[in-house]
Amino acid sequence: MRTLDPACKFVSLLCATFVLAARHDPVWNLAAFFLAVGWMLISRVRGKTMGLLLLPVLLTAAGMFFTGYRFSADGALPFRAETLHIGDSALWNGLTLSSRVLAYAGLGLLFALTTDRVDMVRSFQRRFRLPQVFAYGLLAAWGIFPQAAREYRRTKAAFRARGIRVAPMSPALLKPLLVKAVRWSEELSVAMESKGFSSGAERSEFARSRLRRRDWAALLCGCVLLPLAAALWK
Amino acid sequence: MKTKKQWELKDVILMAILGVVFSAVYLAVFQGGLVLSTALTPLGLSNFAFELIYGVWFMAATLAAYLIRKPGVALITEVLAAAVELLMGNAGGLTVVLTGVIQGLGAELAFALFRYKKWDLGSMSLAGIFSAVFIFCYELYYLSYYLLSPALLAAQLAVRFLSAVLFSGVLCKLVGDALARTGAVKSYAIGATARIGTIYDEEDS
Repeated sequence: MRTLDPACKFVSLLCATFVLAARHDPVWNLAAFFLAVGWMLISRVRGKTMGLLLLPVLLTAAGMFFTGYRFSADGALPFRAETLHIGDSALWNGLTLSSRVLAYAGLGLLFALTTDRVDMVRSFQRRFRLPQVFAYGLLAAWGIFPQAAREYRRTKAAFRARGIRVAPMSPALLKPLLVKAVRWSEELSVAMESKGFSSGAERSEFARSRLRRRDWAALLCGCVLLPLAAALWK
Repeated sequence: MKTKKQWELKDVILMAILGVVFSAVYLAVFQGGLVLSTALTPLGLSNFAFELIYGVWFMAATLAAYLIRKPGVALITEVLAAAVELLMGNAGGLTVVLTGVIQGLGAELAFALFRYKKWDLGSMSLAGIFSAVFIFCYELYYLSYYLLSPALLAAQLAVRFLSAVLFSGVLCKLVGDALARTGAVKSYAIGATARIGTIYDEEDS
């Protein structure tokens, strides 16, 4: 999974997500979720990282289950339930809605945890022909993230030193962060312009990558075989 | 001060950085919403926890548009913020980028209706409400919300509107004006109209 081209991986997994959205089937959803978790383990994603990210997903799924269980739209639907594979029981309704949360999140995490951030932005820029200014802008902004986290902690420490207690994410902490963000953006853009970066000119790249056979295979599976299987499988 | 409608590099960088800052806010708010939603789970009302804070997800677009005031800013900022959310590994899955596009389009439409000339509480609230409507239509299908009872959905939408006005209207306006007063955004469109207080250099403050 790690060696796939990020843009191809993204498109295939997105396709798979939409196939699941079109099929209202808890079995498919749960299968996708466990497949994603298994694949993450094979791709050597750290168990702790995955667990921490999956915990909120499981809680959301539980919440969704009870919402679907208690407030199902019975009888008031503008279409026939059987044609969409929707069972009439509230339990099934809850299961469909909650397993869907799991499946979506599973596929999303599979992508996020097995993809290098910088590779992803570069690959998106190449394959989707994004303007370079956005790709570079995003990478630059991404580079600033640790600094933003440090700034947040520093402001909190400054308040504590003065004996003032502030709640997490309070405006007192976010305002300096925003002011700093604006200043960083100006400094960054000046720095980039001074290095000859302008949005108009074509830039060369130090690393050129080509699509390999496995990338095409991923696209084939996600965008052709899976939708076909979903359409044919009754 | 006359501002050009064309984007400059510093606009794009500011949009990207706002995207990064707000995606961190989104993640933090998501955790908070989760606690609330878990508490509401046994009642089957856990969805409302997220509806209450839904407006936070529209903030990046409205705030960036309020600061920079150029066509397309709301849409692109929302998409960039969504892309960063994807990079961080969110619970919503891969379609988070798509939701970014949809929400951004909603906000963009609201500002376009005013021909990018009106920048006040009204236009910003409308941007939030349009984002809410756009994303709700999408969720009807994507999250199978049509499986839920119409009364519940109407209540959810009402709460979402309230949240949109509160966060992307009122709060974004307050934040934008507060930023303008610090003088940090004096080189952007908002700085042209803002009353700026005393400006301290970074080293003095």
